[in-house]
Amino acid sequence: MPSMTNYVIQTRGLSKTFGEVSALKSVDLEVPKNSIFGFLGPNGAGKTTLMKILLGLTKPTNGQGSIFSHDIVKESVAIRERIGYLPQHPRFIDYMTARENLEFTTRFFFSGPDSKIRGRCEEMLELVGLHDKANRPIKNFSGGEKQRLGIALAQINYPDLLILDEPASALDPLGRQDVLDVMARLREHTTIFYSTHILDDVQRASDTVAILNQGHIVASGPIENILKGKEGTVYTISVKGSQETVEQNLSQLPWVTYTTRTQQNGSCTWQVGVSDETTAEASLLRHLLSDPDAVVTDFSRKKYELEEIFMKIVKGDEYDC
Amino acid sequence: MTANSELIPVEEWGRVRGFKNLFRKESRAWWRTRRWWINAIIWPIILCGLLANMLFVPTIANLATDAEIARTGNLTAHIMSMGINVFFEFGITALAIGVVILSQDVIIGEIQNGMAEWLLSKPVTCQAYLLAKLAANLIPVLILLIGLPAALAYSLLSIRSGTLFPAADFLKAVGVMTLHTLFYLFLALMLGTFFNRRAAILSISLGSVMGGPLLGGFIKPLLSITPWALPKIASLTASGLSVPVEIGITPIIATALWCSVFIVAALAKFKNAEF
Repeated sequence: MPSMTNYVIQTRGLSKTFGEVSALKSVDLEVPKNSIFGFLGPNGAGKTTLMKILLGLTKPTNGQGSIFSHDIVKESVAIRERIGYLPQHPRFIDYMTARENLEFTTRFFFSGPDSKIRGRCEEMLELVGLHDKANRPIKNFSGGEKQRLGIALAQINYPDLLILDEPASALDPLGRQDVLDVMARLREHTTIFYSTHILDDVQRASDTVAILNQGHIVASGPIENILKGKEGTVYTISVKGSQETVEQNLSQLPWVTYTTRTQQNGSCTWQVGVSDETTAEASLLRHLLSDPDAVVTDFSRKKYELEEIFMKIVKGDEYDC
Repeated sequence: MTANSELIPVEEWGRVRGFKNLFRKESRAWWRTRRWWINAIIWPIILCGLLANMLFVPTIANLATDAEIARTGNLTAHIMSMGINVFFEFGITALAIGVVILSQDVIIGEIQNGMAEWLLSKPVTCQAYLLAKLAANLIPVLILLIGLPAALAYSLLSIRSGTLFPAADFLKAVGVMTLHTLFYLFLALMLGTFFNRRAAILSISLGSVMGGPLLGGFIKPLLSITPWALPKIASLTASGLSVPVEIGITPIIATALWCSVFIVAALAKFKNAEF
């Protein structure tokens, strides 16, 4: 596989079958360096399977992949030297305290000096806000504290890539916010590849997104491109007065690709799709205001919510990004 | 902030990358929890309790018939012989059961609770993971389950005989006992890589411990290729008696070979395991 230094993860035609069941079907994925990459999909879409393949915990049935230009099957240990991983349900050694768990994990990567290893553990405890609980048995930790400790363990080697499997899904809103804050703090140091089904978190935290459905990547790219929707740029305009003249005006504009309207309380709301975003931005409103028979009461660019896009994709599989 | 460059990277042979740290973790689970002292108390009591009873409780000595006493020469020799039989024949079986129970969960437990997946997401090879489990469990078994009770048993036998018990024969018998125990330790660990249910590990291992000697009684050649004759061999060796020709030392060689096969099979299976 050709090495592309701008991408941390690259896969080509990655597939995985379990008996008769195809968990992944020819997945092509590119994760840009220093991105926060949200990996979305409904339960059972194959997100965890893909993550396990990337980590070398499961072998692909077909296809290939690389991380840091290392082959994910043949050079798995070299890859794991530079990765941090938080499983969906973090596990800890229960007879050790949080600090002892951190020290133990550090020693997979570093043999010394002891003072520096202890220093690294203290930094991680500070990062996730668990310094005051470092010597407590883990069995007394709350779900949010366990998740934060899990992130500290994943980050202990200052990895070039953090793989987080549903890092906030089991948490209450405060716990989720804590985890997103920690991710935001880490983004300047590392690439974060995380799976989730909490769309709101993705919209807030990610800069790049891929959506996996039934083993296929059905959309991927920068989040602003995904949020544009497949219709391109659409304006929402509310108009009172003569709707016929509005329709006439709009039909004369060559860059208007389609219009739809809905009537409500004596006002009409138009959805206007445009092919030339720059021209539309400069002259669409002016054009409408020049009509003396119509009063524009609202004018805005339509914004898609990720949830809306996700539902379209997952339910209809009709999206093409 | 401590940069990675300020820390010394781990340097280990690629095939066993992660072994040292995993070995420390596994050893700690034995030696820095209550597990070690519970086993250090239980096993001498189980193995040497009956032996002490045989050697020092007069009512047991009084049960001996004249014919039995005449066969061994005198009452003390008869009592010693009974003690040795109990320690090596009953003891070996008890140890095998104990080792299977202690080790049946070592691999399966971590696979099922996700710990193996997490550990293997670190720069760790599957071989290192398995060998660390094996080595870290082997040491306490040798010290706490075999060494400690054997030392105590030797002391009891020496006290009862009024002189030092013949050390060479006793050590040979302990060697046989160790081999038998390792067979079941390695078998249970290997089965943990093949099955994902504890019931399978327990039924196969304990079936061999308890049903094997019975089966060997019906199909004699099986005794030569299994560890099922080892309790008898250990008992005869400790008593200074020669092992019958029809048994010979082939069970010892076969058991040692089986131990190697189990390790190789476990490594091969675990290398291709998916989590």
